[in-house]
Amino acid sequence: MKSNWLRSMMLNVMTVSVVCLGWSQASFGGVVDTGYLIESEARDASLARVEAFLARQDVERQLLSLGVDPAVVVERIGGMSNAELIALEGKIQNQIVGSDAIAVIGVVFLVLLILELVGVTDVFTAI
Amino acid sequence: MPALFALLAGCASIPEQASRLPAGAGGVELVETPFYPQERYQCGPAALATLLDMSGVSVSLPAVTEQVYIPQLRGSLQAELIAATRNAGRVPYVIDPELSALAEELRAGRAVLVLQNLGVAALPRWHYAVVIGIDPAGNEVVLRSGVDRRRVTPKKTFLRTWARSGFWAMTVIRPDELPARADRLRYFESVAALEQVGQLDAAEAGWRTALSEWPDDRVVLFGLGNVQFAKGDWAGAERHYRALLALAPGLAAVRNNLALSLAYQSRFAESLEEIARGLRDTSDPRLRDELRASMDDVLALREEHPNQLPAAESP
Repeated sequence: MKSNWLRSMMLNVMTVSVVCLGWSQASFGGVVDTGYLIESEARDASLARVEAFLARQDVERQLLSLGVDPAVVVERIGGMSNAELIALEGKIQNQIVGSDAIAVIGVVFLVLLILELVGVTDVFTAI
Repeated sequence: MPALFALLAGCASIPEQASRLPAGAGGVELVETPFYPQERYQCGPAALATLLDMSGVSVSLPAVTEQVYIPQLRGSLQAELIAATRNAGRVPYVIDPELSALAEELRAGRAVLVLQNLGVAALPRWHYAVVIGIDPAGNEVVLRSGVDRRRVTPKKTFLRTWARSGFWAMTVIRPDELPARADRLRYFESVAALEQVGQLDAAEAGWRTALSEWPDDRVVLFGLGNVQFAKGDWAGAERHYRALLALAPGLAAVRNNLALSLAYQSRFAESLEEIARGLRDTSDPRLRDELRASMDDVLALREEHPNQLPAAESP
C-alpha cells in the first residue's frame, strides 16, 4: 500500500521525465543515449505491474466473464506506447490507492477501461 | 450529498503515509544553512540559491534570479529550478512525497526546498521555502522562508500548505554523494539529464558514485560509457560498453555505441562486426535504423581515414 501511494504520486514526475529523456537521436554521432536504457527498464517495470494487476483473481474472473482471454490483453498491452502505458498505470493506481481490495465496481470499471485502451472493441458490441 | 461531502473531506485530509514521522527522525536543525532573504515574489531564486550555496556552488542571488525567475509569472517553475541546478553541475533530486523522506535528507545534512501553497485552493499563493529542521518531538518544522531567517511552523500547518503542491520537494545533490533515500531509476534519470545539458564531468562523477551503490548496474555502466564517449575517451567508453555486454549480451543499443567507439579508434572491422551482431540481436525497428545509420557512418569514416587501415594492407 505504501508503494501504491508513492507510485501514484511519482507517476507525474516520471511521466514528465520519461517524455523529456525519451529516445533522443544521436547527440554524439549516432550514440544511443542513456535515457534509452532507463526508459526501457521503466517500461518493463511498468508492464510487470500492469500484468500483476491483470493476474489478480477478481480481474481475471471479470475478463473471462466478458469472454476475453487475459493472455490477449497482456499481449495488447505489450504493444502500447510508453505514454499509453503510463496513462493506463496511472488509472489503475488511482483506483487502488488507499485500499488493498478494490470494490467490485472498481474492477469492472478498470477492466472495461483496459479493454477500451487496448482496443478489444468487439467486447462492447457483445455486451 | 453525503457522497459529495465525503469527497471534499477526502481532498482535505493528509494521507498518513505523507505525514508519518518515525520516532527519532526529528531533532535536527541545519543551523549553518545560509540565508538569502527574498525580494518581492522571488522566493524561488532565494530558496535555490540557499541550496546551491550549501552544496558548495558559489552563487549570487541576482545570477540565480536571472536563471529561474519569470517576471510575467511573478515566480519560478519547478522545471526552472531543476534546470538551473543541472547547469550548476549538481543533481536535482525530487524526493519521495513524504515528511519522513524530507527528514532523512535533513539528517544527511541537506536542506530541502519545498513548494507550498500558503493561500487556499481557490486563491493560491505559491511559495518556495527551505526546510532546515524538525524539532525533537516532531511537532514543528523550521524553515528559511521569505524574509524570515528562522520561521518555526507547526507540523500540521506545514503539511497542509505542502500537501497542496502534492508534497513537492527537491534537494541539490553533489555528484559525489547520493540522496538519503535514492529511488534507482529516478536518480539515474537525473544523472542522465546532466549528460544532455553537457555537464559531462558532473555526469561522470554521478555515475561513478552510483556504481559504488549499484555495482554492475546496466544503466550505470551505459551512462559511464556514454559520458566517456561524449568526452572523446573512446577506449574508456569501449571498456564500459564491453563490461555491460558481458552482463547483457543482447543489448543491441550498447553494441551500436561500442561499434562507434571502436570506429573512432580506427578499428573498423571490429566495429562492423559489432553492428552486424547488433542487427542479429534486435527486431526493434528504431534500433535497427540506428544500427544501419551507424554502419554508414563507420563506412564513411573508413573512407576518410584510409591511412589508418591496418599496416598489412598498406603499400
